Amino acid sequence: MRNLRLSSHSRRAALGDRGRRAHPDEVVAVGGYLDEQFCQVEDLQDDASPNFTEEVVTLFFKDSARLISNIEQALEKYPKDFSRWDAYMQQLKGSCSSIGASRMKSECMSFRDCCGQGNPEGCMRSFQKVKREHGALRQKLEAYFQLVRQAGPAGAATRPV
Amino acid sequence: MLLGAARMEEKRAAVVARERERDQFPVGMRVLAVDDDPVCLKVLETLLRRCQYHVTTTNQAITALKLLRENRDMFDLVISDVHMPDMDGFKLLELVGLEMDLPVIMLSVNGETKSVMKGITHGACDYLLKPVRIEELRNIWQHVVRRKFSKHERSDLDVYKDFNKPLSADPCHGHNQVAGGASEPGGRISRKRKEMHSDEEDEGEENDFQEGDEPSAAKKPRVVWSIELHQKFVAAVNQLGIDKAVPKRILELMNVEKLTRENVASHLQKYRLYLKRLSVEASRQASIVAAFGGRDPSFLHMGAFEGLQSYQPFAPCAALPSFNPHGLLSRSTAATFGVPELSPAMTIQTATNNGVISHCAGDANKFQLAGLQENQQANLGQGSAASLGLTQLQQKWIHQETNDLTDVFSGSALANTLSGALQRSISSPLPPQELLDNTQAEVSLQQSITLPSVSSELIERTLGVSANLQDSSISQQGALPINDGFTNDKLQLHDPFDSTSGTKFSVSMPVCPSASLTASSNTKSCVSSCSTVLLAPDTGSRSNCLQFGVAGDSRHGMDGMKQDHLHQGLSSGSFNHNFGACMPEQTNANVSYIVPQMKTNTMESEDKLKQKNIYDLGIPKLHGGFNSNTCNFDGLLNSMIKAEKDDFSFSENDLGCDFFSLGACI
Repeated sequence: MRNLRLSSHSRRAALGDRGRRAHPDEVVAVGGYLDEQFCQVEDLQDDASPNFTEEVVTLFFKDSARLISNIEQALEKYPKDFSRWDAYMQQLKGSCSSIGASRMKSECMSFRDCCGQGNPEGCMRSFQKVKREHGALRQKLEAYFQLVRQAGPAGAATRPV
Repeated sequence: MLLGAARMEEKRAAVVARERERDQFPVGMRVLAVDDDPVCLKVLETLLRRCQYHVTTTNQAITALKLLRENRDMFDLVISDVHMPDMDGFKLLELVGLEMDLPVIMLSVNGETKSVMKGITHGACDYLLKPVRIEELRNIWQHVVRRKFSKHERSDLDVYKDFNKPLSADPCHGHNQVAGGASEPGGRISRKRKEMHSDEEDEGEENDFQEGDEPSAAKKPRVVWSIELHQKFVAAVNQLGIDKAVPKRILELMNVEKLTRENVASHLQKYRLYLKRLSVEASRQASIVAAFGGRDPSFLHMGAFEGLQSYQPFAPCAALPSFNPHGLLSRSTAATFGVPELSPAMTIQTATNNGVISHCAGDANKFQLAGLQENQQANLGQGSAASLGLTQLQQKWIHQETNDLTDVFSGSALANTLSGALQRSISSPLPPQELLDNTQAEVSLQQSITLPSVSSELIERTLGVSANLQDSSISQQGALPINDGFTNDKLQLHDPFDSTSGTKFSVSMPVCPSASLTASSNTKSCVSSCSTVLLAPDTGSRSNCLQFGVAGDSRHGMDGMKQDHLHQGLSSGSFNHNFGACMPEQTNANVSYIVPQMKTNTMESEDKLKQKNIYDLGIPKLHGGFNSNTCNFDGLLNSMIKAEKDDFSFSENDLGCDFFSLGACI
């Protein structure tokens, strides 16, 4: 949403979801799910790569789906193979942190904690949460980008350097 | 806007000469980014571009290495993720530091202290946590500048020289490059040095020092350890003996202009570490290869060297992986190709490894031994029973080997005696001496040899034997298939007996007992065949269980007389016994005869047997296996006798078998 990307600060406020003139949907859309890193990613978008953010997000969901499926398989095929699970989850966590998916990232971390403790049930539960967050984030971002698209080029024009 | 402008700059920078690019530095700094996470890579790439760097990305460490190797001057800085599927980031870090001397920045989601420490000890300039912020990336050009600056500066400062001297003088001392677990003093020293110079880990410090010895120039050339240079280096080291190799002498032997003692010292240090690492790796490879039957050269090739993945950095080994890939790899490759019949890769590599590893300190031996055992076990699993595992012998041998190796490398007669075939196969661009010796051995040894030391030893000895064995080529197949190799002409057990061959029993005990026995017996006659039958030595320590490599033709170089011995021994069925249990007396005697027989005559009985014991690396299990084969052996023996004498061309076949069994044994 171009017009919402008025400034990093505003955007952050939006993502932190209050206090700025953000579209209510947008606020809800991303509030709490994304952090500062997402702002950075958005910052990288410019005229040379006008859809950068969306590209990155799309790439994220594609890659994370694959990683999640790997973890799922590993949970099934390699019971109690905590180091394997942990390795996979670390990959997913890395992806999350790259786009600023904070809630999902913290679920990833708690999964890894469970691995560290050797707690398979904890891992399973945590993994379910990771998947939920993943789904929720996807929805939010889809909504977000819709808003952004609706905002159209007007938003870009107001974007400060 | 900004990005567009940056891009234009980058393009401009790309087309101009490096000097001009440098003038615009840090704009246009060429960064290579490596990360298997596509999201992160994309973001990183864009961030770097935003900083006006020239960015190349790849999601595979192997590709990155390839790019870097193709043109070392293509990049100024490397940023790499730590956790990658195809190669450990730390390993990449080491390699880059060793081979290209470029600053490397590590990236990771994991910010644990031990992880960061590992990065530092492996020589990373910096360690960044994901998600990376652009502010952090804006400063990474410092590492490039710092490195260059240090190179110039350090040479001028006495204090740096002081640091340099002790470190150079003792190449074994830990350096900042030494991997985690390196000796404390080295770590401390390098830390001190770092403090003095900068806060960053500079994996190129050694080189910096060395380069500092040269007159300062606007741009100091890095000492690039090309393959040729490295080969010279290795040849010099081998000549001196790994334990006695000191930088000064190496430098003298190498006789390369503009190379300083410090260059050599740091290279030596890395080399030693590399060797250590290699021996462990080789052991593992050996077992893997054995398991696979060593059929596929590329496998070994990749696995052992190129892949590097399997490499587990030793604690003490800083990182000599670069040597491996370049020097060894090329060597082994060459050797490999040089020996078509054999499972080239395996053998060669082993040989190569041998050469290298044997020079390693005791550790290597241990590894080798371990590896051998592993190998043997693997082979055993496959059924080969050739080598009567004389562990003690092996060990003894291994120790001997280390000592002997220099001899080997210095080109023992073996090399000469090897049959043309062998030699042909061996011909490789690899460091001639050691390789030749090794490869030859390799040839006969073939697969099982994976263990470096073993193989070289084996080769040596076998060469004596194999040389006679025309069929050394038999070795090709993996441990298992030896049968095939044998049954053919190669196994001319009969012949060998009659003929002078007798040298080696190439009793290639193929994996399958019966089959192998047959083969073995055939080979046996060949004796000279590659397979060196390691007969359990009654002589005791030497256990010389002849490994039946392949029934090469014993004819080769075997004296008639000797062969008779062998023959007798063999035909008398001692074989059976022996095979079962390392033919004790007769074989020993025979073997010893045989062994020396080989034209090479390099080996003199006992010693040879001893050396043959390498084959013995076979684990006791083999021994057992062997026993079970005894009965088969009879049949084998008979068939051997009936078999037509073969021309032992040492060629391949025999060796192939040989190796096979040896491999199995091993």
